Amino acid sequence: MNWTEFQNIFKDCRLEGEKIVINSDLLKTIEFIKTNYHFEMLKEIIASDNGDGNVELTYRLFSLEDEEDLLISINVQDEAESISSIFESAVADEKEIFDLFGVKFIGNPELKRLYMPEYWKGHPLRKDYKEDDERLNWNE
Amino acid sequence: MSKLKLNLGPQHPSTHGVLRLILELEGEKIISCEPDIGYLHRGMEKMAEKLSYIQYLPLVDRIDYLAGFFYSELLCRTVEKALGVELSKRVKAIRVMLLELNRIASHLLWIGAFLMDLGAVSPFFYAFREREVILKYFEKITGQRMMNNYFVFGGVRRDIFSLEDVENIINILPDKVKDYEALITENPIFVQRTKGKGVLDKETAFNFGITGVNLRASGVNLDFRVKDYLYERIDFNPVVLDGADSWSRYKARVLEIKESINIIKQTLKVLESEKELEQKLVNPLNLTLPEGEYIQEIEAPRGLASIYIKSTEEKSPYRLKWRTGSYYSVNLLRKILKGAYLNDAIAISGSLDIILPEVDK
Repeated sequence: MNWTEFQNIFKDCRLEGEKIVINSDLLKTIEFIKTNYHFEMLKEIIASDNGDGNVELTYRLFSLEDEEDLLISINVQDEAESISSIFESAVADEKEIFDLFGVKFIGNPELKRLYMPEYWKGHPLRKDYKEDDERLNWNE
Repeated sequence: MSKLKLNLGPQHPSTHGVLRLILELEGEKIISCEPDIGYLHRGMEKMAEKLSYIQYLPLVDRIDYLAGFFYSELLCRTVEKALGVELSKRVKAIRVMLLELNRIASHLLWIGAFLMDLGAVSPFFYAFREREVILKYFEKITGQRMMNNYFVFGGVRRDIFSLEDVENIINILPDKVKDYEALITENPIFVQRTKGKGVLDKETAFNFGITGVNLRASGVNLDFRVKDYLYERIDFNPVVLDGADSWSRYKARVLEIKESINIIKQTLKVLESEKELEQKLVNPLNLTLPEGEYIQEIEAPRGLASIYIKSTEEKSPYRLKWRTGSYYSVNLLRKILKGAYLNDAIAISGSLDIILPEVDK
């Protein structure tokens, strides 16, 4: 894809290694990339807790034509825009991230616990998750 | 007509593990399907953050116990690429050979289990008979039938032997596959239950992130082996079919077995000419990866599998994430079962080759 053209439209972004880091307009950016640069597939959404209260979401888009990946990354706190209206597979990814990181995706129709039981407290892959937390004595 | 909620699973013999489907029915028609997963969750990603790389290596086979080599390969590959370790020709050939044998074993199990789902019992025994020969060979060289833990960082655990067994396998398999085809492919009952059922068009497949055989059976030529560095000297043609239904997905897997036999033949030639095993094994004690993020991917039997590691030069990864093909196939059930009849539900979900440990991680 054409990086300079992209940067003219979305000014609030920078290139960090192979990743495009954006600060806002997630839904708009991904929709733009999908329609204009033909990235037809979302391979996965990778979430990673930065340790400072932010969760970094990395969207791995795939173009069939060039067989190459494009990484879009954004830092969010507890809420993010859902892209399930653009890619249906995002429903599953976002569900997983909600369960393990506690990020709420606004617009995702199926946000609920996935791996953990519904009464589970906390989100296990957060760096501030305490395993010996008293609240987790759920089995009593 | 009144609606009925039907709970299918989790302990149902044809859900290939513990998958629970909550179906809403109107008569015999499914009007909505909601997969409920998580019964087999072992916290694979959480465990990685606590263990060192070598401690984590034996666990990764268990992500998909039917195709364990693929996941070991991914973890080993990430470490090798991060540390700049080059594999010798023999090691590469050994890995490709085992991966393809594993793919055949996985597809054979699928053929047996899928036909069992449809009510045909005997193909199950035929497919398992051939799979057994492959598993026996795995046991001989790795000490384990499944979950082999054979690949290590920088090479393989020990040199390979008994190549005549592999030759034997690839000599008998084509005839056996011919038998399955005679028994199954044009069988009128089988055709009626699979042709035109569970149609998955290209756009839906892309939209739901479907990869692997399921995508190729919908007419998309996308095989991640083509650009894979292990397969760079290997000549093969990805299997692409146009039917997009359950029958095509069956046919594509049968053809893929033949293609894998073809690949194994080529690796055997390499193994004959490269007798010396040269390995640059990485010392697993105090192993750390340079700071950064690593993504590696491979074409596993159930679609694209990939690993993401974020390293902060600690003994264990800061964050490790797996992408598995089945996870997205389960999500697809929401869409593909809508409007189908209840008696096709098992046939359609079976044709997608879902394996639950891979979904639950």
